[in-house]
Amino acid sequence: MSFKVNYFDGKSSKTQKATVSPNSLGWKITYVNDIGNQINISWDINAIKKSEVYTKGFVSFTYGKFFPFQKIESNNTSFIDYINNSHQKNLTNKVDTFLHGSLKKSLLILLFILVSIGSGVYFYAIPTVATSFVKNLSKKNVIDFGDYVFSILSTDLEINDDASKHLQNFVDVLKIDAVFPIKTYVVESKQLNAFALSGGKIVVYSNLLKKIENEAQLTALIAHEISHIENRHVLKNVARNLSGAIFISALFGDVSGVTAVMADNAHMFSQLSYTRDLEKEADVFGLKVMKKNAIDQNGMPQLFKILKKESLIDVPTFLSNHPMLKDRILYSQKIADKQTNIVENKLLKEKWKILKASLIQTPQKESTND
Amino acid sequence: MEVISTNLIARKRIKYFGKGSEFALIYFKNIILTLITFGLYYPWAKVEMLNYHYQSTELDNSRFQFHATGIEVFKGFIKIYVIFILLYGFLIYALQTRNETFLLSAFGIFYLFFLLIIPFAIHGAIRYRSSRSSWKGIHFKYLGDRMEFFWLFIKGFFLTIITLGFYGAWFQIDIRKYIFSHLRFGDLSFNFKGKGGDLFWINVKFILLFYITLGIYSFWYYKNLMQFYVDNTEINQNGKPVHFRFTMKTGDVFELLVVNFLLILFTLGIATPWVAVRTFKFLFRFIEIEGNFDTNTIQQVSHDDYDDAAGDDFLDFLDFDLL
Repeated sequence: MSFKVNYFDGKSSKTQKATVSPNSLGWKITYVNDIGNQINISWDINAIKKSEVYTKGFVSFTYGKFFPFQKIESNNTSFIDYINNSHQKNLTNKVDTFLHGSLKKSLLILLFILVSIGSGVYFYAIPTVATSFVKNLSKKNVIDFGDYVFSILSTDLEINDDASKHLQNFVDVLKIDAVFPIKTYVVESKQLNAFALSGGKIVVYSNLLKKIENEAQLTALIAHEISHIENRHVLKNVARNLSGAIFISALFGDVSGVTAVMADNAHMFSQLSYTRDLEKEADVFGLKVMKKNAIDQNGMPQLFKILKKESLIDVPTFLSNHPMLKDRILYSQKIADKQTNIVENKLLKEKWKILKASLIQTPQKESTND
Repeated sequence: MEVISTNLIARKRIKYFGKGSEFALIYFKNIILTLITFGLYYPWAKVEMLNYHYQSTELDNSRFQFHATGIEVFKGFIKIYVIFILLYGFLIYALQTRNETFLLSAFGIFYLFFLLIIPFAIHGAIRYRSSRSSWKGIHFKYLGDRMEFFWLFIKGFFLTIITLGFYGAWFQIDIRKYIFSHLRFGDLSFNFKGKGGDLFWINVKFILLFYITLGIYSFWYYKNLMQFYVDNTEINQNGKPVHFRFTMKTGDVFELLVVNFLLILFTLGIATPWVAVRTFKFLFRFIEIEGNFDTNTIQQVSHDDYDDAAGDDFLDFLDFDLL
């Protein structure tokens, strides 16, 4: 049994038209050189190296311990069949031969596995790991992170110390049982906004405080922000967002700009839906805090109505990081309607009045955010 | 007439025999293995995929071969990771001290280190890739001197900065000329005869016409650039130059890039391996080797067995591909 191959001796680029006669111990290679002499070479079967990659209709082998190697190339079909059926481990890769044997089926199966792993990691593994990582962070780390962010943000914020003190007094009256020490800041701004930082800091914009009409509405706002703090929403959001983004860019980054951009946008949309869930969780938790303090839960839907009135357009839910105000009014109203334990809290009312008085009354209209 | 006909016979083309579905199988298999090993398999994946492209590329009835091994590339990655961890560790340490002067100098050191490592990485990468690439059993070899290349790079880099980028084209050509003049294939040597000024004007034309034509000029630019690189490359065989010629027309560039773009877009990236194969097939169709290139008399000259893939891995890290 012999096959036609091209042989290279590793010294010159001359293509030698050779025949190879393989047996179980080795290969005999024979060719006639330029001056008409027949050259015989033998390769020990165990030292033959197959090229590591599969290409249909082509095989190549190298031989030798050190560079440069002797080499055989062939596209002879009977030689390729012989190799594919060989039981010699170093000559053929059974897995590759099998996979490439039924190419279409293998491709579909691999694609299916790839999509399953990808979506499993993205939709299950990453959120679970990221969330549990944040849950297990020590209290000190969470506070340090919040302090660090605040130290950067605060340089651009015009903090009203007087109002901040009064807001703090208001919050101190509430029964919250918070793990984190709650510290409040009032910031001079025309915007209607408030936000919480991980570890206990709450920032409320002065214009929003001016629009708020009673202590129940303010409690709704504060309780909502406290929920973000207590449930470590900011860190959960950051951890999920970052790890998801790293995974997406690792998977699609090398592909091409277009796919990477599409994947990034898809990730952003899924992230928005997650933050909306967190917002709703904060609303519901806030309502519970209000109930615990026997404060009128109607403050929550009232607060949303004020925001709705002030905002020019209600952004559709899927484009926003908050649920639509219309929806928030509906579900908070539903919960408020069932409340039976409303008791007027005189101390809270008093603190609210002092706070309100400390703000300069200059009504302004601007966009809303929270 | 006689001269023309011999020229036509002597003209050689590189052919690419890769198949989309075949490469796709290798590509998906390797992505899956890389994913489930948390990236540890990447060196082997990279080697197999490159090996596929080499083995699918044919010149004069012989295929190219890539001899790199996963383990060599893996060792290179370990080195690079250690450097990166040290560098980032230093930076994080500097961040925590919250000392602004220290932080600024730490950033300075960080970027300077990065800059200084690049020429060494390029040198190592070329030497490794050359050593591991063969055709007809003959290996490539890079004879460049590491320090000489380092100073050439640093000089060019600073001149480019001082001239606000104007020197960039000359910088690029200096680097290319150095690399090509130190590259060998057996007893053949290479030469790049392009001039910095020519590249400069190709770039200037691009900057001027890109906005006027709303980006459409990019296709001409791509063609001009490829043509500049290919046409100015030559092989020296027995003291005689062998020229390359790039015969692609702007319409072909358009066909290549637009179809690639649409394929990727409408398959959400799944067509990536098919696009890679298509691109190689397409490009090689337009590269001709002119003159009397004798492919049967090249002699192996002492082989440079260089197994350090760290430079190659570093460039991979920066998403900078040599090919």
